[in-house]
Amino acid sequence: MGEVVVFGLIAGGIYGLFAVGTVLVYRGSRVLNFAHGEIGMMCLFLAWYLVTERGLPWIVGALAAVALAAATGWAFERVVVRRMTEAPRVAVSVATVGLALLILATEIRLNGDNPRSLAGPIGGRGFQIAGVFVSPTQVLALLVTIAVAVGFATLLRRTDFGLGVLAAAQDPNMARLVGVPLGRVSGFVWAAGAAVTALGALLIAPTVQAFAPGAFGRLFLFGLAAAIVGGLTSLQGAFVGGIVVGLVEAGAGRLFAETSFPGLETLTIFVLMLLSLLLRPEGLLARSGGRRPA
Amino acid sequence: MNLLLARPGLRVAIVGALALALAPLLGRNGIMSDYVAVLIGEAVVLAAAALSLNLLMGHAGQISLGHGALVGVGAFTTGALTPATELGLPFMLAVPAAAVAGALVAFVIGLPALRLRGLYLAVVTIAFSYAMFESIFASEQVGGGSAGVSLPRPQVNTFLFTDEADYLAILVGLLALLWLVDTNVTRTKIGRAFRALRSDEAVASSFGVDVTRYKLLAFALSGAMAGIAGVMVGHLKLTVSSSVFPYERSLLYVVVVVVGGLGSRVGVLVAAAFYAFYPIAMPELFGTGVRGYDVIIGAALLVFTMARNPGGLAGTIRELRHERRSERARVAAEADAGVDDADGPALPKLPNMPRPASLAQRPEARGDAPVVEADNITVRFGGLIAVADASLSVPRGRIVGLIGPNGAGKTTLFNAISGLERPESGRVRLLGHDVSNLGAAARCARGLGRTFQNIGLVKDLSVTENLLLAQHTVAPYGIPAALGYAGPTGRIEDELRERAATAISGLGFERYADTQVGNLSIGQQRIVELGCVLVTAPEVVMLDEPSAGMSPAAAENLADRLRDLRDELGRTVLLIEHNVPLVLDTCDELYVMAGGAVVAHGSPDDVVRDPVVVDAYLGGALT
Amino acid sequence: MTAASAEALLTIDGVDTGFGSSQVLHGVSLEVREGEIAGILGLNGAGKSVLMKVIAGVQPAWAGTVRFAGTDITKLPAEARVAAGMGNVPQGRQVFPDLTVEENLRLGAYTMRRRSKAAYGPALASVWERFPKLYERRTQLAGTMSGGEQSALAVARALVNEPKLILVDEPSAGLAPLIVEDVFATLREVAATGVTMVLVEQNVAAALRLVDTVHLLQTGRVVSSGPVGELDRSMLAARLGIGRLLSATTSAALQKRVGGSGARSVSPKKPPVKISAAKKSAPKKAVPKKAAAKKAAVKKTAVKKAAVKKSSPKKAAAKKTAAKK
Repeated sequence: MGEVVVFGLIAGGIYGLFAVGTVLVYRGSRVLNFAHGEIGMMCLFLAWYLVTERGLPWIVGALAAVALAAATGWAFERVVVRRMTEAPRVAVSVATVGLALLILATEIRLNGDNPRSLAGPIGGRGFQIAGVFVSPTQVLALLVTIAVAVGFATLLRRTDFGLGVLAAAQDPNMARLVGVPLGRVSGFVWAAGAAVTALGALLIAPTVQAFAPGAFGRLFLFGLAAAIVGGLTSLQGAFVGGIVVGLVEAGAGRLFAETSFPGLETLTIFVLMLLSLLLRPEGLLARSGGRRPA
Repeated sequence: MNLLLARPGLRVAIVGALALALAPLLGRNGIMSDYVAVLIGEAVVLAAAALSLNLLMGHAGQISLGHGALVGVGAFTTGALTPATELGLPFMLAVPAAAVAGALVAFVIGLPALRLRGLYLAVVTIAFSYAMFESIFASEQVGGGSAGVSLPRPQVNTFLFTDEADYLAILVGLLALLWLVDTNVTRTKIGRAFRALRSDEAVASSFGVDVTRYKLLAFALSGAMAGIAGVMVGHLKLTVSSSVFPYERSLLYVVVVVVGGLGSRVGVLVAAAFYAFYPIAMPELFGTGVRGYDVIIGAALLVFTMARNPGGLAGTIRELRHERRSERARVAAEADAGVDDADGPALPKLPNMPRPASLAQRPEARGDAPVVEADNITVRFGGLIAVADASLSVPRGRIVGLIGPNGAGKTTLFNAISGLERPESGRVRLLGHDVSNLGAAARCARGLGRTFQNIGLVKDLSVTENLLLAQHTVAPYGIPAALGYAGPTGRIEDELRERAATAISGLGFERYADTQVGNLSIGQQRIVELGCVLVTAPEVVMLDEPSAGMSPAAAENLADRLRDLRDELGRTVLLIEHNVPLVLDTCDELYVMAGGAVVAHGSPDDVVRDPVVVDAYLGGALT
Repeated sequence: MTAASAEALLTIDGVDTGFGSSQVLHGVSLEVREGEIAGILGLNGAGKSVLMKVIAGVQPAWAGTVRFAGTDITKLPAEARVAAGMGNVPQGRQVFPDLTVEENLRLGAYTMRRRSKAAYGPALASVWERFPKLYERRTQLAGTMSGGEQSALAVARALVNEPKLILVDEPSAGLAPLIVEDVFATLREVAATGVTMVLVEQNVAAALRLVDTVHLLQTGRVVSSGPVGELDRSMLAARLGIGRLLSATTSAALQKRVGGSGARSVSPKKPPVKISAAKKSAPKKAVPKKAAAKKAAVKKTAVKKAAVKKSSPKKAAAKKTAAKK
């Protein structure tokens, strides 16, 4: 049991981080960015090149990776999303599918299917909790997720700019008419969402050990499940959703350990996602009748 | 010959038959190499899969990012039915079996779609396909584990269907079948119902389209087509396994459908051919150095298409053609406006549509019961009571007005009467029959017609198409007949078109017949909406703020048309309106609602003097 | 009055626009002077709301220029126009339903708060004073308020930014008569403070009782414009298609305002400034000094309670910050 909890928390933190990235973009523009998984992967390749190949310090690689992610998100907003203000939101989401394929193809072109690896920011052997080895990076990942979720939630509720983000999500045209700089708001959420995802990718890299193009599909989808469990608009909800998905996955893994049938954890998460969409679409943390938590 | 070619069914059949005969002939004579045959085969199966997605996404507007899983279901079904050792016969069985399996699985995915829309549906479908490929398809039992399932080429005997060109002929034949089904869908009430769903579900059900049924039908049909596409893919690839067939495949289908143009068969075909051929063509043309850029360019093309024109290839062409037409319409509209400069454009007379013959089954009125009766209706949204124990009764041949402040519950009561909203308690009777347990579509079929505050038309369809859609409930052919365009389908469709044309000329809207409704002015849209209500010859017409957004002149004109409805066409009218002078001018009786309850009822003159009404609603509007 | 008042506050010159290949506005020109309430009237589809969008900056002009407070803003995006002193009361669902009343107002002051957070306190206080009902509901979600209250909030949200000009697009659309009266009462109060206003309205009776000048649009062209008192009554009625049905209220308004003494009860009679539609070059005369001064005096008394001087928001804001210290 303790094992399940530890595994669940470790994985859940990363899902939460991916979920926060998804929620940021969704809050700001009511679009799901299906390219997040691939953006995270692309950034890992950059970090791998700088750190593993060139021997630069981890932090340099990480900063470059996060910057690349932010730039990609921002540029996509600039070039594609902004032209689609009148288009249905589903169409914009389909365009992000195109972005995902574009990045994926570019990765394969440049790197082939070769698996790469990247060390964590903190070395050391780690320690044992309930019989599970936990690396310092994994603890860090959990803390970073909490900090990012709380940080962005505060930014959105407390600052004018954050209020502008909320307003733009509700009615972009009206937001412009009260003076909210829509371009900047939209660019910010797309850049921030991608950057947070890159952070998640960097922190999970040592755990997955080797990564190759397209390998983050699962991570992204589990993050999406986490965002949905949390209600899609709530940053705290995204974090809690991440933990829930992590725990359910670990629990299912334990439960189905004996079965030879593949992918039952994935199937379980799919069912969890479906149930939360159908039974509690407003998210775990929403109070009935009250306002959604920021 | 000309006559034959004019009919889409025949055209497709001829193409299919030609391919069936020609492909083996070309193959046998060495004109078409196996390599080329397989290459064309790839394009054909991609087109088939994309066509199935196009039906769901393009026609019915239900997004699926996981269609690869449905194609997979087809492929693994034929895999289970066609053991490698036993050649021959099973292929003929595999096609219908895979169609059934695909339809069943799609039906199940469609169930959450009844509650979920747009992005949520996209999420569910992509997660579904991922889970299928990770789990079910990867299993030993279904997917044959890492080795996969091997599928032989179908073989009838040793002479026929022995080489690649023969199989290509089969593929083309199956594609022609799917194409024909899709054609029949689009030209019958099924396709119109799908397009209405895509645009606005509330509007669709007000036209009498059973939303649940047609949504599930869209999923099932699309699943069946995807299943057949799966059979085609499986026997072309010779082996199917979870890894040969990754879930990203679903995304390629989306790319093809979107780039080709949602809802356009030809666009999808062209895009499929492009995406199948250019990865091979590029290295041939520019040397092997460009290998690997194919997917990059394909993806970039998708992003570019979305950013430039979400309508895709077909959309761009349609727009170019449309621009000229709308320019003509605008010039005409301006000329119109110029003619009655001072009086404003007059609303046309309303067409008197006789009851369609197919309406025989509509239950007759019971005695002289009121046309509409609502008894003690209560509607609650969460904790909020929107309608509180409201009752009203509309006698035959009268114009009854329903007025009250915003949020008084007028529209909610309308929704309860027309069946869009399930009241917590209370009964609704239509012509004396209790219809409380019937849905909106069934009430529409029984003679209840209504309009909407924000105009209940499908904005991206033309005037004609809207009028055809409005006759959904009076098109008495079954869905199987429609899919084959068989039995009475053709004759009934012709009748519907004739009635639509009559209605359009009755409205004097001939020149707008092919104009998208969204491009008409608000006033014109309201007239088209009225035409759509009248084309089914309803017993009662319920109008929700018909004068909103109309100029004073048009509103005055509307009053005359309302009286025509009652006096010349013998209809009964129930009317929500804020335009008090219009209400006083036309209504025989008035109900006043405030805070969800009916607070006053009587003749207009009495009601407007009622102090309660003045206090709650009118204020100084009349002084 | 400063030199800037020689030019109108808002000048639209030869504006064309449309959607895709269909042109909606054809060479529209008009001027709105400081302190004036300009009504844009016309039949359905005449292009009133589109013109409003061009002024607000959410619909690009194909040709022509828009000048505001002495600068060319034709190419400026909507948010920059708000920063320059334009306020919007948009048509339709007018508030951010999932935000509180207070957050709606904070958004309204977005550009003001970027300049100086200190100015916001007094601006908000004066809005609370003018709309005490909103103050009572300041923590309520805007979407849960009644239609009339939402309209009031939309007006308040535009005012809190202390704009020089507010654009009001069809405030009566879809509202019950009683609430329409409320909304127009609010607008009249706002007008009394001397804010310049451009109003698009379908409800001719209500509009005529409020406006100083009328610009009549027909199929995308200005066909007549001038002070409401000078308009030809029968021409207006004919152009707007006013007939038997609406005669009760509208003809009363017509009688009272059009062609008669065009005076609003709060402001003195406007000098007869003739504004021609086709050529904006025609009357560039400043408002006669006497009348302007008289008007300013009236303004002061009317506004005393509200503690906001509309004449020069910047100066007022500066004064307030000084007072705070």
